[in-house]
Amino acid sequence: MTAPHLAGGLSRRSFLGFLAVGAGVVGVPSLLTACTSGPASTAQGGGTVSSGVLPTYVPVEYVKPDFPSVNGSTAGYASIPEELVTAFATPPGSGGTYSAMTPLWSAIPKTSGNPYFDAVSEAMGTTVEFQISDGNTYGDKLAAVLASAKDVPDWVCVPTWNFPPRFAQAVDALFEDLTPYLSGDNVKKYKNLANIPTDAWRFGVFNDKLYGLPFPGELVHLATFYRADLLAELGITEQPKTADEFIELAKELTDPGKKRWGSADQWITANMMFAVPPEKGWKLADDGSLVSRVESEEYRAALDWQARLYKSGAVHPTAVADKPEEMKPLFESGEILIVNDGVGGWHESLGRVLPSNPDFDPRPFDPFAHDGGTPRIWKGAPADMFSFLKKRDDKAQIEELLAAADFLASPFGTTEFQLVNFGVEGEHYEIDGDGLPQATDAAADDVAPSYIFLVDPPKVNAQVQFEGYVEAYCTWMADASQYVEEPLFYGKQITEPSQFASLGTPFVDLEKDIARGRKTLADLDDAVETWRSSGGEELRAFYQGILDEQ
Amino acid sequence: MTAASSPPGAPPRRRIPWTVRARRDRTLLIMVAPAVLLLAVFAYVPMLGNVVAWQDYSPYVGIRESPFIGWANFARVLTNPLFLDAVANTLVITAVQLVFFFPVPIVLALLLNSVLSPGLRTTIQSIVYLPHFFSWVIVVTIFQQIFGGAGMVATRLREAGYSGFDLMTNPDTFLLLLTAQSVWKDAGWGIIIFLAALATVDPQLYEASVVDGAGRWRRMWHVTLPALRPVIILLLILRLGDALTVGFEQLILQRGAVGTDVAEVLDTFVYYQGVVNGDWAFAAAAGLVKGLVSLALVLGANKLAHLVGEAGVYQRA
Repeated sequence: MTAPHLAGGLSRRSFLGFLAVGAGVVGVPSLLTACTSGPASTAQGGGTVSSGVLPTYVPVEYVKPDFPSVNGSTAGYASIPEELVTAFATPPGSGGTYSAMTPLWSAIPKTSGNPYFDAVSEAMGTTVEFQISDGNTYGDKLAAVLASAKDVPDWVCVPTWNFPPRFAQAVDALFEDLTPYLSGDNVKKYKNLANIPTDAWRFGVFNDKLYGLPFPGELVHLATFYRADLLAELGITEQPKTADEFIELAKELTDPGKKRWGSADQWITANMMFAVPPEKGWKLADDGSLVSRVESEEYRAALDWQARLYKSGAVHPTAVADKPEEMKPLFESGEILIVNDGVGGWHESLGRVLPSNPDFDPRPFDPFAHDGGTPRIWKGAPADMFSFLKKRDDKAQIEELLAAADFLASPFGTTEFQLVNFGVEGEHYEIDGDGLPQATDAAADDVAPSYIFLVDPPKVNAQVQFEGYVEAYCTWMADASQYVEEPLFYGKQITEPSQFASLGTPFVDLEKDIARGRKTLADLDDAVETWRSSGGEELRAFYQGILDEQ
Repeated sequence: MTAASSPPGAPPRRRIPWTVRARRDRTLLIMVAPAVLLLAVFAYVPMLGNVVAWQDYSPYVGIRESPFIGWANFARVLTNPLFLDAVANTLVITAVQLVFFFPVPIVLALLLNSVLSPGLRTTIQSIVYLPHFFSWVIVVTIFQQIFGGAGMVATRLREAGYSGFDLMTNPDTFLLLLTAQSVWKDAGWGIIIFLAALATVDPQLYEASVVDGAGRWRRMWHVTLPALRPVIILLLILRLGDALTVGFEQLILQRGAVGTDVAEVLDTFVYYQGVVNGDWAFAAAAGLVKGLVSLALVLGANKLAHLVGEAGVYQRA
């Protein structure tokens, strides 16, 4: 359960928001500059990071992965090592108690008198009292909490897709600047934090100061999954290699009489096939000028393809009715055979379905381009979430919290990682004869992934309990890694001026309308025209400024 | 609301000083104090926050630090074509519901009133009240399961050789769908107030009209409906005041299914433009415009009611 993003029923808006992180998430800079600046000032919000702000990278590895990383793909482990390393001989904390707010995409456990939380607090020497909220509505709660400074907990998790507008301003007003504690060699005091790659830290820089403790992301973070078990039953083994083949396959699989549809909404697949610039993203035209996502021919082609897919009748009616939260259940019950999801959705669905249906076998399609050429995959954001420490005067308390963060960032192969991710051995899991952890009944009640949202070590796949899964996952991503490219402005924490906040909204609706045949590409042309005249050109100038500074 | 400020039965007389009046009415004043306090704390004080409509507001710097920008937000609201579309959609939905939804509870109440067996009547009443207590999520899901493309009706039709039935994603029939959902959910609940009004009709009036030789229809026309008229007018005026509010949840749940061209109403517009995009000032301005228009509608309708000799919602003391 290490990849909660895209789990549960994130709305499509936030779901697609996730695509945005490829380019640089967009918040909003100081209000005053936003009002007074004519041509956008690039010093503000441009995601510039001065030298000396970022922590030094000092990698540590306790266990050699069985499936090593290829070009930055996620490494994997086939089993839990017999001898675990203890990274902290004594608890690093000094006995403080702090509140923390985190999301969760499953049933919320009791937060006091929970043996799992108690055990981690004891090992850490610092007590974290959780305020856990439903991940699907976390953004709403967060917006309210951040707007009221006195309600902000000591430690707050903020997923990148939940950044409220004007977030850079909120960060400045509410949270502790960690630059003095972690920049350069200062980070060496916290060996596990120093093990987090520089890109993830850079993404957590706001207003040229280091604020965010990262939950690192993965190289490839989205995929198109199909029900390999059901397709095999139908005698289909060929994967689609072009956009047209995809529609053909989806049509072939559709049989409403048997309550079976080929496809859910495939907007993400369309974006991947056509290599559409990420949401709020840009690409460079041949003459070197900036072309926005919504102006690009890739975007147009992807929309056209979605419309053809919907028209073919292969899309499940519930998807046509725009109920994204129903897609996972319908996929898992076999009513829909092809869906989009985050890569973390793979093992989450295994965990949900395997107990009742041992044949359940979702697999990601190998990457392909719309015309059968070489696919292009946009590199996933270096971090999916950040946690922030509330501003306080007592520097010793900040240091205690950072020591706790260091504890929580302990990588795979340490007793700390085992405790944080699986709970207490003997109480929450038992190691079986194959060296695999088997969760006990108590684990379901007590162990909810919460610490990982405060800070997480660099991503590895250690979901060893599902037979063959880690290998399939790592092989797939290693193969996909050859097609990965960085989108423009990759990994920069860019904050767009607030007056542009609603520029993109009409396109979210248009994407749905065009797919369902309610509007045409001519409406897209009109929308792009409106976009240009109501601020799009100024936004282009803003990004041009950032580009010129690079 | 306005009526609360001048309690009936105590018209102000200029000659008596207010201290005397306060002493005389102290019991009444004490009784009304908690309600006034409640309104002040939870309605009027928060209303002061509407000042952000004249600011470039950011919650992170607060009302005090956010700069005032005059009427710019209102100008943006009123010149925004999407806002005008949303207003148009809202008004169309209100008009359709006024014609097709509003009379349903009246008819239901009249029918129910003619059922003589008290047991049967209570049973029917309970059954038609029930859907009111379902949340919109449940109602929309039930409709989806029945009328959606993978629903009951579509499946039966498909077995019979007809394909392509999907009422839930058809923008052309969306108005009907919306009204049908409202009727199913709330028509039963709406009859309560009419039943109460019917209970106050003096049975002697019916007896007298029977003696005069009035049949069933004449009794309804000359006795029942006149008795209901003040309640109908009252509810109509209140409904007009709500004309710009057509059900946020019901629409936001189905907005994606039929598209914004038919399903974007004022409340969803404010939510997406204002809250989702964090443009709180814009949302506040749009909300204020909506409030002003609603107020004008209520006052206008009330005036109209007075002109045709009805009591309306309130009267000047």
